[in-house]
Amino acid sequence: MNRMAYSGRFLAGIAALVFMAAACGGSSGTPTTTSKGTLTVAGFNFPESSILAEIYGQALAHDGYTINYKLLLGTREVVAPALESGQIDIYPGYAATDLEFYNKSAGEANGDAVATTAKLNSHLQPLGLLALDPSPAVDQNAFAVTKATQAKYNLTKLSDLAPIGGQLTLGAGPECPTRPFCLPGLKKTYGITFKAFKPLDTDGPLTRAAFKNGSIDVGLVFSSDGDLNSLGLVVLQDDKHLENADNVVPILRQAAASDEVKKVLNAIDAKLSTADLVTLNSQVSIQHQDPDAVATAWLQQHNYSS
Amino acid sequence: MSVIVSAAQWFADPTRWSGPDGIPQRLLEHVEISAASVAIGALIALPIGILLGHYGRFGNVAINISNVGRALPSFGVLVIAFQVFGLGNLPILVALVALAIPPMVTNSYVGLREVDPDVKEAARGMGYRELAQLMRVEMPLAVPLLMAGIRTSAVQVVATATLAALIAGGGFGRYVIDGFAQQDYTKVFAGAVLVGVLAMATELSLSGVERLLVPRGLRLLQAPVARRATTFKTA
Repeated sequence: MNRMAYSGRFLAGIAALVFMAAACGGSSGTPTTTSKGTLTVAGFNFPESSILAEIYGQALAHDGYTINYKLLLGTREVVAPALESGQIDIYPGYAATDLEFYNKSAGEANGDAVATTAKLNSHLQPLGLLALDPSPAVDQNAFAVTKATQAKYNLTKLSDLAPIGGQLTLGAGPECPTRPFCLPGLKKTYGITFKAFKPLDTDGPLTRAAFKNGSIDVGLVFSSDGDLNSLGLVVLQDDKHLENADNVVPILRQAAASDEVKKVLNAIDAKLSTADLVTLNSQVSIQHQDPDAVATAWLQQHNYSS
Repeated sequence: MSVIVSAAQWFADPTRWSGPDGIPQRLLEHVEISAASVAIGALIALPIGILLGHYGRFGNVAINISNVGRALPSFGVLVIAFQVFGLGNLPILVALVALAIPPMVTNSYVGLREVDPDVKEAARGMGYRELAQLMRVEMPLAVPLLMAGIRTSAVQVVATATLAALIAGGGFGRYVIDGFAQQDYTKVFAGAVLVGVLAMATELSLSGVERLLVPRGLRLLQAPVARRATTFKTA
């Protein structure tokens, strides 16, 4: 008796949630009575992933799909098996990290987004999964300078540092001198030798404080961090692809990957930039807006809503 | 055993002994920040402890306050000072000075308090003014405890200065923190050994200073005095 009442309420709750999620995502101007199908979009347990999942979901909803959201589902260890078993249909992945997840850290990822995604697809194929086109938007280790330093030396990309490295101090986590993506890579790939290295943290409070008091000129950050703009930091372009290509890439079940779904998501990916990610992340993590609201606003800017 | 072998190899590597991350530079940084902290701490703590001990007033207040100070976790002070002062040596100095003060207040208070009243009366009878009595009679007699306070502070500060590396400071803590981040546990071990050796060297060299400063008359009574000193040091 009791149990039935509970499960009834539970089902009603689920139905309400599904309805609410659909309503949230449903910024579509055309109230389609016949849905093109139901898709479940999941996200990892950090804000950027929620934003990306909302963008994918709302764009697909705009196209006439009914979307369920499973945001903040967990780490890749939770999300990937859910995708394989069909509990979810799509999640916003990162090319290099996902490749190294599915190939069990074989070290196949490199700085080329297209090659890395092709490698990723070779591992996804037997699992019945698929990665679409990698977006130019990327969330990876990056080296930043202050706007003043940028103007002083006229910097845009990492290779600009090679001739002046001897005048600059690099700040990063204490592990930097031994990691291939950090000091050794900068020297090998770009020929940059810094005047000094200051052991701080990776994109944490020490790096921010060191930028503030001028004890470092170049610092290791994450390229899509929401507070880069407010701190007056500029990311230098990784023009020789030292860092693994953690470009945003949707990963979905082949069963869910109709031509229309692929078209919608690839169009989104093509429009999304790293600068967009920085802005979206700052709206969520600094201005405390809801991921679904900032996703809606981004889609509106890019003509996805009528 | 392999830990000791690899640590020995670590120390034998000549590149460890030069450059900005070399042992001499790290030693200098470690000693500088520790010495500055103990010196500033002594400038604050010793006058308070000495005056309170000399006049014999408000002793409980001073000792209770400095005992509360001992309960302050240095790491907590360091993090808060970092929030306030930002990056640099200042937050480290604040945390280490806060650590250095309590043992010096307590020991100098007790040292002055414990000077035999008969000796003080004799000094006054011989025509010493108050300041001369304090400087020439009471202070020399209190040297063992004054020095015990300074020694305790210095050893604690040298050991705790390791934390400086957590907020991008220098010193031997760098080896511990960097080694951990680089998964180079030999470096961590070597850093810990260096801190330990420096702390012991501090203790021994300050004992030497103490021996020079203790008046000859007291040295004759050295055994009981030494016992007293160690009692208060661990209190």
